Amino acid sequence: MKKTLSTWMLAGVLIPGSVLAGGFKIALQGQKQSGMGHTGVGFAQDAATVYFNPAGMGFARSGISAGVNLLMPSTSFLDANTNQITNSTSQVFTPLSLYGNVALSKKVNFGLGVYTPYGSGIMYPTDWTGRYILNRIDLKVVHIQPTLSVKLGEKFAIGAGFIYSQGHVGLERDLPLSSNQGNTTASVKLDGRASGIGFNAGAYLKASERFSIGVTYHSKVNMEVEKGDATFNNVPMALSSSFPEANYFSSELPLPSELAAGFSYKLTSRLTAAVDFNLTFWKSFDTLSFDYQTNSAALADTKSPRLYENASAIRLGFQYLASEGLQLRAGAFYDQTPVKDGYVAPELPDNNKVGLTLGASARLHDKLVLDLSLLYEDVPERNQTNKETGLAGTFQTRVFSPGVGITYLFGKSNKRKNY
Amino acid sequence: MKNNQRILTFLGASLLLGSCQTDLVEKDIKKGNADFTRYVAVGNSLTAGYADGGLSRKGQMHSYPVMLAEQFKLAGGGSFTVPYMNEGNGNDGSNNPARALGYVLPCNSNIPTLSPVYPLGGATAFNNVSAQGPYNLVGVPGARVIDANLNLYSFLNPFFSRFCLTPGVSTMISEAKRINATFFTLWLGSNDALLYATGGAVPPANAFSPSLTDTTTFRLAMAQVVDSLTANGAKGAIANVPDVTSVPYFTTVPWNGVALTQGKADTLNAAYIGLGLSHIFWKAGANGFVISDSTAPGNVRQATANDHILLTTPSDSLKCGQWGVSPAKPLADRYVLDQNEKVIIQQHISVYNSTIASIAMAKGLALVDMNTYLKSFKSGIIYNGVSMNAAFITGGAFSLDGVHPNGRGYALIANEFIKSINAKFGSTIPYVDVTAHPGIIFP
Repeated sequence: MKKTLSTWMLAGVLIPGSVLAGGFKIALQGQKQSGMGHTGVGFAQDAATVYFNPAGMGFARSGISAGVNLLMPSTSFLDANTNQITNSTSQVFTPLSLYGNVALSKKVNFGLGVYTPYGSGIMYPTDWTGRYILNRIDLKVVHIQPTLSVKLGEKFAIGAGFIYSQGHVGLERDLPLSSNQGNTTASVKLDGRASGIGFNAGAYLKASERFSIGVTYHSKVNMEVEKGDATFNNVPMALSSSFPEANYFSSELPLPSELAAGFSYKLTSRLTAAVDFNLTFWKSFDTLSFDYQTNSAALADTKSPRLYENASAIRLGFQYLASEGLQLRAGAFYDQTPVKDGYVAPELPDNNKVGLTLGASARLHDKLVLDLSLLYEDVPERNQTNKETGLAGTFQTRVFSPGVGITYLFGKSNKRKNY
Repeated sequence: MKNNQRILTFLGASLLLGSCQTDLVEKDIKKGNADFTRYVAVGNSLTAGYADGGLSRKGQMHSYPVMLAEQFKLAGGGSFTVPYMNEGNGNDGSNNPARALGYVLPCNSNIPTLSPVYPLGGATAFNNVSAQGPYNLVGVPGARVIDANLNLYSFLNPFFSRFCLTPGVSTMISEAKRINATFFTLWLGSNDALLYATGGAVPPANAFSPSLTDTTTFRLAMAQVVDSLTANGAKGAIANVPDVTSVPYFTTVPWNGVALTQGKADTLNAAYIGLGLSHIFWKAGANGFVISDSTAPGNVRQATANDHILLTTPSDSLKCGQWGVSPAKPLADRYVLDQNEKVIIQQHISVYNSTIASIAMAKGLALVDMNTYLKSFKSGIIYNGVSMNAAFITGGAFSLDGVHPNGRGYALIANEFIKSINAKFGSTIPYVDVTAHPGIIFP
């Protein structure tokens, strides 16, 4: 009997996995860039170029740029079966970024970036219809990136950074195992720390005073979870041997590589336009596996197909010098989803996204600038049935994120230059 | 500085704008050309919410008619009155409680295993609720189509006599008609074959013993029931009879549960040859149980994959009591639905279902093909991450009696009704959330 019970539960413990997907990769890596639709590969404005294009460091002023966003995603699900709407529980995430850029010589710059390429999550009400698929997921990844750039001549530079990445992933779901011991809900919680290494590299050409162009490659970062906690709660006594209370899991979360190219063009003395194109190689995210330290007949290692597709994004931004101390920005982007029909899941209710951004920078002091940005992102309605879980319905997500940052410039002030 | 303030004001105003919220809206619910104002459900134990081998208040609350009534309310449906039992373990009709999972010590091991047992506290006595009627849920465990218009039946069946207006006079149909329904569901006919099958298809001992209803009698009785229910112009849905092999009661105990070594097989072969039963041959490995079969030489033969050993066969006797192995202990007819019996029953069910389909067609009823749907359970279904199939206990959709669904199973059945009703009448009744209903309860 026990054996057959266990086989049944196998399907109950498939763990959702596309925690790294497009929707969790956050396009908030610099306040000025965020205000311009998150462009910056061909427009080195400040120290955030450490992320956008390391080769741009020699063309930006030495200084420090730091910022934080309040990231407020809100997701709704209309169940195609029951015609009922579930709203995700509102949460505020605070992805941070901190960049420094110093000219070591006329040709060589050193930079350091600490930023949050993934730092979001989603949580549903505890009694929602998909609770056996997912109740909560959080993913936070911080990259630490020391970087060097070298100018080869006046107009052209190359640069590269080494990435050390630290992350945390947590997810929870209920198990469809009812107990006669009162009103408890069996659930599983996975909590793991991960780390990995990678690099980014870029080339930047300032062709003229008006026109710059750049290209950046962000490598894949394979985040390895070596000993995450797998905790099973409130499993009925009769089945407890199949779900040991303290268990560990290991997994691999491949943060995909990305190729970005962009340019900026000074349309007038006050108005600059920037365009970026990103291609993210999601195809590497084919299968998600979880390997449990202690297996039982009920708790086998899992492999879930994700079959992501490579996805591209196009971004456009404008910056307008309104007055001596004030820059205004606006931008927009279109970001393709890597998730195919039949694979959209509560962990990542993704779709092709459209974003609109605004931004401003105000000089507070000779060397100190206040940067503000605002992101509004629309993930339109997507109606499908998930092949693995059968969940059928329409997801819709909107993201709202105000951000604030400061830029501190090193060296002599120069009001007319970029800040 | 003035400019800076302007910018800050602008950003602040944007923050306050509500555009960051999603704006999904529910779809409009249409009743189509059906009228759900007054709904009555007519049927047997499956309609009553019988589960785990008994009728309990909890089972009634998770019956498919109660779920349907909730959904119909979204499209103009009115109140739905249920002849609820009192709180407790329920009653199987013979004053045994519905079963629960507990631990039993098997004969061949000292490790307790999970098994359906009678819970502490005994059965819930039948409460008489006749005075509180009429009831929208006329589900009578044990009822066959041919019982639906019998007034004496209300005397004989304690599940019915507890809620009908006048035992001995009321019939299931007269009870249903008290509602003057605008919409009905009808799921009768399973017991015309299943009661006979679950008893191992033994020849009926008397007029009240389970038997296989003759197909002509079935047709006349079903036509009469539907005529009565549609006499006031009511619309409705009719479900057909599931195949016997769809339910775990017939498919859980393996036919070839006799595991032997070569030595033991040799000994048994010698014994059987000594008795002149050389058509029974034992080999090393898995062997079919020896079953009673009046058509076989010596009235015994070995089971094949086409025979079904019933869930009610005492498992300790199979494991340790030499049942189905010893020449003295062939499995009795009442524990086996053999191939010939099964074929006859399946032929009858097939005719019943043609009858139901043609009546549905003639009367403009939605036909709910439970026969086909329950067959699909075997290969497994998944609902919002919960996997279910037709296996006993582990499958998660059938209750502990192996015949009746549990709450989740009944929710799936309610959804089959809704699917057919929507298709037939152009309504858009939303489906029941299967995860909101209980599955197997573990200790």
